[in-house]
Amino acid sequence: MIKVSVNGEIKELQEGLNVSQMIETLNYKIKGFAVAINTTFVPIAKYEETIIKNNDTIDILAPVQGG
Amino acid sequence: MTNETWEIGGKRLTSRMLIGSALYPSPANMEEAIKESEAQIVTVALRRQSAGEGGGNNFWDIIKELNINVLPNTAGCHSAKEAITTAQMAREVFGTNWIKLEVIGDQYNLQPDPFETVKAAEILVKEGFEVFPYTTDDLVVAKRLANVGCKILMPWGSPIGSGQGLMNPSNLKAIRKQFPDLKLIVDAGIGKPSDAVEAMQLGYDGILLNSAIALAQDPIKMAQAFKYATISGRLGYEAGTMQKREFASPSTPTVGTPFWHQFS
Repeated sequence: MIKVSVNGEIKELQEGLNVSQMIETLNYKIKGFAVAINTTFVPIAKYEETIIKNNDTIDILAPVQGG
Repeated sequence: MTNETWEIGGKRLTSRMLIGSALYPSPANMEEAIKESEAQIVTVALRRQSAGEGGGNNFWDIIKELNINVLPNTAGCHSAKEAITTAQMAREVFGTNWIKLEVIGDQYNLQPDPFETVKAAEILVKEGFEVFPYTTDDLVVAKRLANVGCKILMPWGSPIGSGQGLMNPSNLKAIRKQFPDLKLIVDAGIGKPSDAVEAMQLGYDGILLNSAIALAQDPIKMAQAFKYATISGRLGYEAGTMQKREFASPSTPTVGTPFWHQFS
């Protein structure tokens, strides 16, 4: 198992997951979101090839009200 | 109402008002206020949301159903790097290359950081974004943003959410004069409809506001007020105002005035 931060919360994940598998494991259901790992944007096209590593900081952002 | 169109960021629009989607008393009130404003651009943001939170994101569903242009912002960013990452994420989520670039340099008055804003704008323009940079009314910063390829500038009227109106109209006028070909939007600080009229009378292409509508006692009515104010100010600018005169000058003809010198 590895430890990562997801939106500021520490989570334990199985080692070797890619971004798609991580989203599935976290049961992330919000429609329309984007992912950044260690402050770098990960486009959808790179979900399969991007492997989550121990101590990664993951941000999953979704639409909200804004001015 | 005017059917005249204008262009911004590659889109032809009739409304010159850009409206924010935050701070309304309820989602239904937001939806109605945006509709009543007849704005064709609405600003939105991205924030962390936990798994399952938001129940499928009602907010985004409402915005999509409005079928108007979405302008994502980078609100809350304090560095060029943060703003660039947020912009890239917004492009994927919202499916637009438009970005309202906000890089805050001071937490007290939410003044934009000119150095980081220019740095981020340069990179985002190169990455194919249509950058709507939120800036102060500083002419030199405006020049720097134009030099890195911004076709749109959004100087503040006064600090975000302050409702203080246009603090420095002469600076805004100088920016208008220097950049006749750029699209200029007064962003932030507009508090009442007369502020919108004033901004539009300076020849600005549009206004962007949120708090003035969302925090009004009746946001829906205020959205209508700003719709008319924006149109009124633009028409006033296009019509050209009269020169001010130092003395009174009668508007009614003096020739044929009755009782001329009959009463004394």
